[in-house]
Amino acid sequence: MSPVDFHGDYREPYGPLQVWRWLTGRMWSVERAFERAKTSGRAVDDTRLRIFFVLAIFALAFVTLGLRATRAALFAPIEAAGREAAPLAGARADLVDRDGRLLAVDLTHYGLYLDPREIWDTNEIRRKLLPVFPKLAPERLERALHAGRREYLGGGLTPQEMQAIHDLGLPGISFEEEAKRVYPLGATAEHLIGFTDAGGRGLSGAEKALDAQIHEAAAAGEPVQLAMDLRVQAALQDELLKASDKFGTLNAMGMVVNIRTGEILAMSSLPDYDPNAPGKSPIPNLTNHEAASVYELGSVFKAFTIAMGLDTGVVNIDSTFDVHAPLMSGGRLIHDFDKGDSTLALWQVFTHSSNIGAAKLALMAGPDRMTTYFRRFGLLKAAPSEMYESARPILPRKFDDDTLAHMAFGQGISVSPLALATGYSALMNGGVYRPLTVLKVAPGHEAKGVQVISEQTSYTMLQLMRMNAHTDPRGSGHKADALGLRVGGKTGSAQKPENGHYGKNNVSSFVAVFPTDGPINADRYLVVVTLDSPHATKDSFGLITAGWNAAPTAGAVIDRIAPFLGVQRVITADSPTPNGPGAKPSDIAE
Amino acid sequence: MTPFTFLFQKRIRGFRLAELAAFFCLTALVLGVYFSKAHAGGETARIGDVDDQITEEQHRVRLLNAELAHLEEPARIERLSQQYLGLAPIDAKRETNSTSLMEIARAADTPAPPAKVVKAATPPKPAPAASEGAVR
Repeated sequence: MSPVDFHGDYREPYGPLQVWRWLTGRMWSVERAFERAKTSGRAVDDTRLRIFFVLAIFALAFVTLGLRATRAALFAPIEAAGREAAPLAGARADLVDRDGRLLAVDLTHYGLYLDPREIWDTNEIRRKLLPVFPKLAPERLERALHAGRREYLGGGLTPQEMQAIHDLGLPGISFEEEAKRVYPLGATAEHLIGFTDAGGRGLSGAEKALDAQIHEAAAAGEPVQLAMDLRVQAALQDELLKASDKFGTLNAMGMVVNIRTGEILAMSSLPDYDPNAPGKSPIPNLTNHEAASVYELGSVFKAFTIAMGLDTGVVNIDSTFDVHAPLMSGGRLIHDFDKGDSTLALWQVFTHSSNIGAAKLALMAGPDRMTTYFRRFGLLKAAPSEMYESARPILPRKFDDDTLAHMAFGQGISVSPLALATGYSALMNGGVYRPLTVLKVAPGHEAKGVQVISEQTSYTMLQLMRMNAHTDPRGSGHKADALGLRVGGKTGSAQKPENGHYGKNNVSSFVAVFPTDGPINADRYLVVVTLDSPHATKDSFGLITAGWNAAPTAGAVIDRIAPFLGVQRVITADSPTPNGPGAKPSDIAE
Repeated sequence: MTPFTFLFQKRIRGFRLAELAAFFCLTALVLGVYFSKAHAGGETARIGDVDDQITEEQHRVRLLNAELAHLEEPARIERLSQQYLGLAPIDAKRETNSTSLMEIARAADTPAPPAKVVKAATPPKPAPAASEGAVR
């Protein structure tokens, strides 16, 4: 005997081999039982045992099948019955505004089909079908009648139209359901919402920007919620329409942004179109000029130049500039609109909108600082929005002193108003550059951004904006100073380049921010109004500068939207602006 | 004889009791499954009908929502309110908040100071009734 117990309590682990051994062992044992019965002279028992064994196996199989069948019949999920309606191909989710108001919806329409093999009286089809379905071209019907197979005649039939054709009782006519995108608000926010093709593919606006997301939401049965506030949108669009009529603009555009969250609350571009029938509008009307067109926007750029100067420490708010004489740069003289100034402090360069002062500041800072900050404000690239239309800027070929001097007051660089709004948001929100979004931002959530200037610089810029619209009597933005809403703003009036040189027309812009009081990271709203080629009116004393057209338009917008945004009026003794309605050109700088 | 062997040895009209028992069990099982399936099929059809109705209603609700959105289009409402009711955006100076309502009500209740009586050279003509309110 071995001194060591090699077996002891050791047991082999269970595995397929062990199971197989156990099974064959039991089979062998049964077989041996039959043999034992046979050898012991009880052959009948042997047969009985075999029959019993087969019966038991069959019984077990039937019971198993029965249980499985019962389970399948009683507890199968409903979906397995195949009754759930599959979503139509290309289905899109509803688009709703931030308060759930419907903006775009897929409605079931019907496609009309004709199978000529089932028709024996083609004249009856021609006679009855064409009057009820006038959209159908007779040539198309003729082709279908001679096609020899089932043909598609047309789509987009409303349930009423479908019923009217169905009631004709014509042979060979059939219908198939199809989804059609409908925009119940027509030409309201159409550039922001966009439109789709017949196959349910987004072609512009949010429809294109969020195409994949809209399809996914449709599969989940959820709507897609935009940041837009329909009330704000309607007010903006209405005021732009009035301004467009009053000043006879080529295009008028505007947007409203919550600069804390980066949400685009409203965006409008005129002339407009009906997204339910975009093909019926002239092609230029389909362009969202707010995002897809670039302009030299003029003095609104001074805010970026001054913020750069303050943030880099090249200047402070009281630094002075000699502006008594025009500045020669790049073979062109840089003048100030507001002649008569000799020395201006930096804050006056802003409120008097001094081109000379801004150009001198750019020259002091140099190309590196200027390009670095303009890049930080997103002015050297397309605005990083979901919107497909976001246009790339037109930039100078080189950034030398001459081009920088002109860029400092918004000449020689063309950007979209959307890019301008994105840059201004960073200027006014504490210095954080973040892409503007058409999607609603969940409460408490804040999109990531990049700190491009200090909070202190941002706060100073906010105060400068307020001074320009209210405190400084010679500020250019007084006509936007809606009563009690603490509005700040900056005008920009740029001559339009036409045929290789600057022409008589201009582009007037106004960037307004309100309320300018409160913590720097509070909810604050930016209103950007841009009028392309406005004309002078009696009210504007023959002027076409932004202080006389874009600024009052922005003021009217703010007046109407403040209650919707929860901004309370604070009316004090100094609330009425000194140069509000009724002011004369001599009172207001440009 | 144990009950088990009785089950296999007892014959009724030539059939073993075990075989008969198995036959009845099988029949009961088949019938049970058949009725269960038939019932489940009926229920599934009913659920399908209800699903169809829900889908139909959802289409109608969507259609009504779209129609409602169209009718409530802000520009349309503004146009109609101006055309038929003469409404317009309220002037900022006439806006107030709830805390100021008491002061406004108090000011409205305070009687206006009596107007100075000026002796006219000629007796004044009686004012038409419709213009009485104009004194305030």
